[in-house]
Amino acid sequence: MDLENVKPDLATKEFLAVVLAGFGDALVPLTSDYGDEPCPKALLPVANKPLIEYVLAWIERSGIHDILIICPTLHRSSIYHHIHSDMFSSSLRIDLQTYEESEEDNAGTCTVLRHFSSRITEDFIVVPCDFLPPSDLPLSLLLDKFRVDALSEGCLATTCWYQPNPPEKISFIEEWGPPPPTFPIVWDPSSGTLLHVDTPDDQDRNPEDIDLQLSMLSKFPHTRLCYNMEDSHVYVCRRRVLDLLHEKPHLSSLREEFLPWLCKDQYRRPKRRKTLSESSSSRRSHFQFLSLRHSSLNNSSLDLDFSMEHASSPAKIGIFVPRGEAPVRINTPQKFYEMSRRILSSTVYSLPTNAKDRSLIDAKAQISSDSIIGHSSQISERATIKKSVVGRHCVIGKMVKIVGCILFDHCVIEDGAKLDGCILGKSTLVGAKAELIRCITQAGYEVGAGESAKGEKMEVSDWMATPGEGEDLAAS
Amino acid sequence: MASKSSGSTKDKLLEGEDEVLQAVILSDSFNKRFRPLTTHKPRCLLPICNAPLLDWTFESLALAGVQEVFVICRSHAPLVKKAISESKWSKPGSGMKIVPIMTAKETYSPGDAMRDIYTRGLVTSDFVLVMGDLVSNIRIDEVVRVHKERRRTNKDAIMTMVVKESGLKHRTRAQGESAVFVIDPETSECLHYEHLQGYPRQKRISIPREVLTAHPEIEIRNDLLDCSIDVCSVEVPSLFQDNFDYLDLRRDFVHGILTSDLLMKNIHVYVAREGYAARVQDTRSYESISKDILSRWTFPLVPDDNHPGGHIYEHTRGNRYIAKDNTVVLARTANIGINTLIGSYAKIAENVSIAASVIGQNCTIGPGTTIKDSYVFENAAIGANCTIERSIIGAGVMVKDNSVVPKGCLLGDRVVIGPDARLPPFERLSTRPIKNVDEAKLASDEAGKGEDDIDDEGDDSDVEEVEAQQDSIDKTALGKDTNALVWPRGPPDEEDDDEGPENWKNQKFMRLGETLDEISEPEEDSTSEDDDSEDEFHDGESMSGISDVSIPFDQSEDKAEQEFKAEVVQSLERAFAEGHSLDNAAVELKTLRMASNVPLTRVKEAVVATLVDKIKLVDGDMGAQRKEIGVVISRWGDLINRIGGVDPVETVSILQAHCASSIRMPLFGQILAALYQEDIVEEDDIRKWHRIPASNGEALKEGIEAENFQKCWVIGSHMIKQFDAQESDEDESDDASEGEGEGEGVTKVTGKKPENAESDSDNNTQTESETEQSKPSALSRITMDTSNKTDVEAAKLDDALKTPTIKHQVPPSFAAVVPTAASSASRPLVKRPDPPKPLTQSKEGESETDSEVSDSTEAADAGASEDQSEDVSASEDSSAAPSTDDDESA
Repeated sequence: MDLENVKPDLATKEFLAVVLAGFGDALVPLTSDYGDEPCPKALLPVANKPLIEYVLAWIERSGIHDILIICPTLHRSSIYHHIHSDMFSSSLRIDLQTYEESEEDNAGTCTVLRHFSSRITEDFIVVPCDFLPPSDLPLSLLLDKFRVDALSEGCLATTCWYQPNPPEKISFIEEWGPPPPTFPIVWDPSSGTLLHVDTPDDQDRNPEDIDLQLSMLSKFPHTRLCYNMEDSHVYVCRRRVLDLLHEKPHLSSLREEFLPWLCKDQYRRPKRRKTLSESSSSRRSHFQFLSLRHSSLNNSSLDLDFSMEHASSPAKIGIFVPRGEAPVRINTPQKFYEMSRRILSSTVYSLPTNAKDRSLIDAKAQISSDSIIGHSSQISERATIKKSVVGRHCVIGKMVKIVGCILFDHCVIEDGAKLDGCILGKSTLVGAKAELIRCITQAGYEVGAGESAKGEKMEVSDWMATPGEGEDLAAS
Repeated sequence: MASKSSGSTKDKLLEGEDEVLQAVILSDSFNKRFRPLTTHKPRCLLPICNAPLLDWTFESLALAGVQEVFVICRSHAPLVKKAISESKWSKPGSGMKIVPIMTAKETYSPGDAMRDIYTRGLVTSDFVLVMGDLVSNIRIDEVVRVHKERRRTNKDAIMTMVVKESGLKHRTRAQGESAVFVIDPETSECLHYEHLQGYPRQKRISIPREVLTAHPEIEIRNDLLDCSIDVCSVEVPSLFQDNFDYLDLRRDFVHGILTSDLLMKNIHVYVAREGYAARVQDTRSYESISKDILSRWTFPLVPDDNHPGGHIYEHTRGNRYIAKDNTVVLARTANIGINTLIGSYAKIAENVSIAASVIGQNCTIGPGTTIKDSYVFENAAIGANCTIERSIIGAGVMVKDNSVVPKGCLLGDRVVIGPDARLPPFERLSTRPIKNVDEAKLASDEAGKGEDDIDDEGDDSDVEEVEAQQDSIDKTALGKDTNALVWPRGPPDEEDDDEGPENWKNQKFMRLGETLDEISEPEEDSTSEDDDSEDEFHDGESMSGISDVSIPFDQSEDKAEQEFKAEVVQSLERAFAEGHSLDNAAVELKTLRMASNVPLTRVKEAVVATLVDKIKLVDGDMGAQRKEIGVVISRWGDLINRIGGVDPVETVSILQAHCASSIRMPLFGQILAALYQEDIVEEDDIRKWHRIPASNGEALKEGIEAENFQKCWVIGSHMIKQFDAQESDEDESDDASEGEGEGEGVTKVTGKKPENAESDSDNNTQTESETEQSKPSALSRITMDTSNKTDVEAAKLDDALKTPTIKHQVPPSFAAVVPTAASSASRPLVKRPDPPKPLTQSKEGESETDSEVSDSTEAADAGASEDQSEDVSASEDSSAAPSTDDDESA
């Protein structure tokens, strides 16, 4: 395929991006409901920009314009509003679909995909709504790897795993919960093949050892076992994957069940897969094998073996390991915090040019340059803001000290309060002289005047008591 | 650099760069893989490319700059010692000091040898440990340097293993014994060692999770060739001393160190990227290493330069090496193929064709002979028009004219075969144990220790054993002039070491000439977690070495199954013929099943089929026929349950299916009875089988098979009827003994008896005619035969034979042909566990019961025998009869 001459129209038909917007259970209390209003994970503001916008922009940059967003029914309206707001680029063709799901009964990713398989007619990319790739990792890199593998080795899916940054001492706050467990994977660096994903089930079955099948090692004799890799949950898949999903109705999670199964399939007798794979591809690799066999150049054992494998293993699962800066998945408060700080470190704050916004910021307020202040926020005199993100329409009282915090929209911080390393949900009210260190609050939470807390996740216990009070205050 | 922490000698040794580099050679192999070539000399003295292995090892060490060598000799130690003293290394100025160390005969393993090294205090610094069969050109000094460097920072790094990147299926990589190394790529520390062998084949390996916490990124390598070159620190022998259970260097020591929580020692690997190193550890690697040497992979150790035996060869195009001293007599018409080496004084007659082979010194090859991929040791004489392929011919062997030596044969020293010998593949021959004169002389001081040979250089007890078995072996194929002893061909009756790599099946992976396709088992993938149908797919991937690539493209399932069946039949026939024990036969079948990866049912089918076919058909004589069945079933019947998964219901179904499609259809009933008699199937099982809808063959297409199915089913019905009758008798006997309170039971039975008889007589004629007209099967033949008998007793007996149901009259042992009804009748009652006999049962009651039972069974038998084609409902009615009250009135 001559990539240069492909018309943009054709390129758009090549893939469909499926963005999965879940509840974000691990981000509680940031994603807990605000009254009757949900706070979807997809709309969490990272540096005052909803998460999903980063993802959509990333997809768009790779030339994909067809996007299917799947979200819980509860979140539909807010996400719909967001997508159709004027802040949003319009070159994308977005299909927003919902599925019935409650937070308790979390439908697996496989189930969701199966449910919408009729809407997916081409090869597709599964992208989580919380994936923040660095600028040197365009999606097209991953797509190119997939294209090459799919052509030459009958690749079924390409995954992307990365070595996360070691957690920084400052940003990792133990009180906010343990880091998500990582699972060992086995992959073959020379061919970029993912071979084994250790599942929680495996871990339960044999907590002492990792069991690896010998058939894997005889097909891939030189492999790498990594315990420090994280899954980006970005999967570039052939349409055929959906057929396989339908064949395995009992699998519910893509990463924990389906992917490990697919991996094992590579070194299993590929009988069934053979019928699914196009006969042409297997014939081609057969010829390739024959030509290799008769070639005088390639008589090393490895090459022969290799081509033989291709003849019999039509369903490779590729793995792409980006070098350079590690991407981040915002699936824990720590990650959220870390990512915000990372963005902050590269921003330079300047006072708003808009005269109206500017008038809200007191001249005597101190705002360090590595901060972000949303528009229409009011900052009173002698307030100090360092290394923080302040959302829109916030009200910061006098003498307030905010260091290393993330304030969502409509927060109200009353006079003299001190905040250090906190994440405040939408419309949080912090009373006068309250002191919070490394706390996370749910949207609409009210911290009483003079209260102090350290390392807590503060959740609203009873909504009936103060419905919408935060908003009232914010408006005032 | 000089000793900062002086005082500790160890440190000094570490620092001292000009320290003497020591090496230890374990010249003994501690196994028997080369037998019978090694009955008269140790493996390390076997020639490879016309030079003893030990000399290759010395040469390899000299190349690495080793200055002092200790050779640990065990078996044939005097020979080894003599060889060392005669070798060029013992001459002054060789630059290497070689010290033979005689160790005790009780040294059974490399571990013992290491303990011996420790007690003798041989080594004083880090040393190189190799086996006496190494061929290498790796710069071991570089490994030693790396090792010492590491020791400087890490005192716990006690050993460095040299491994070579080779690819998975390299011909020199031992298939019978290999290993997966788990390595930290940064430090090349070996984190986990998993020994693999060809058989039993592991399906998975387990890497301890705790390894991951310290090393988040590790490499798993299945493509490394273990060169068996270890650079050890001084404390290695002491570790062996402390742990008496360390036997093998790899499986015990390396594994033990790596898994030990206490020792906290590290073992590292050195992955050699260039150079060559391999061990002649079995006949298979003997071949591949010979080929490697001839194709000059071992340069500078090649026949035309640095030949360890000191011979001088001329290297000509196509890697042909011919002794340079002009002593070789080559006929003009002789065809010398590529990769061939011919020793001095060899005489090659006309029209000889030699390819990819090594011919020793002083060999004579007669005209018209073809030698391919074979290794002929010195002084051998091959006659005219012989064919030798992929074999090793020992020193002084005579192969007389027109003989054929196919692949995989090992001919021990001085064996004579032919003329016109036709050896089977993989034959192993040796001479009778006449003690070689000089060996005896040399060994005289070692005398009396000859009993304990566990290694291939051991003494003659094995040979004697082989000799003892000779009478049973037909040696006509070996030619009339032969003096050979035939070594056992099949697997040993009792596997002494099923776990280790020395088991028979695994040895197949190590023998010369074996194409691995034949023995390699499919790699299966019974991933329990996936619980789906994938489990039965097996991987047709062959393990074939690249040297003999044969691509099994579409080996259809069918063919595999056929092959498997044939294998089962063969294995059972062997078992029958050689009278194996049940256990052994079962084990063999199990392994066969594992090897072919077929479901258990297949095995069962094959076993049942073979057993049934094994029964000789006796025309006409019922008694003899029954005896035949009895003999087979009583001897081998239990095998059905031993092969795993006891499922008698299935057994019956399989038996039915097989009988239905076989000419032994008429035997179904009797076989079933015999199985019942042997407790292989129980009454309940027969009932269950009977209830399975598929059993009556309705689902099948019209045809003989369906008909036969139905017949079998009907026979089953009768049997069940019989059981019912018997049960009611039993009830009755219980009742009778318990008291008159349940007189009902008695009346029930008595009421039933005539009914039964009646129905029988009703059906009698009808059935007979039906069977006759439907098909003149053996069954009806039998029926007719029995009707000719005049003697009442005999008739009754024959009836019994014909009907499977009356097993009560079948004696437990089939030796007694005519049992007394009463004595045998009591047996099944005891056997059946369901209605326990009351202990209080009186003598009187018992005898009464017995007679009653025999009566009723007799009656039922008489009926059952005839009405085979009675329809289903009728038989069901009658079987249900005793329990229903309605029948009483009848």
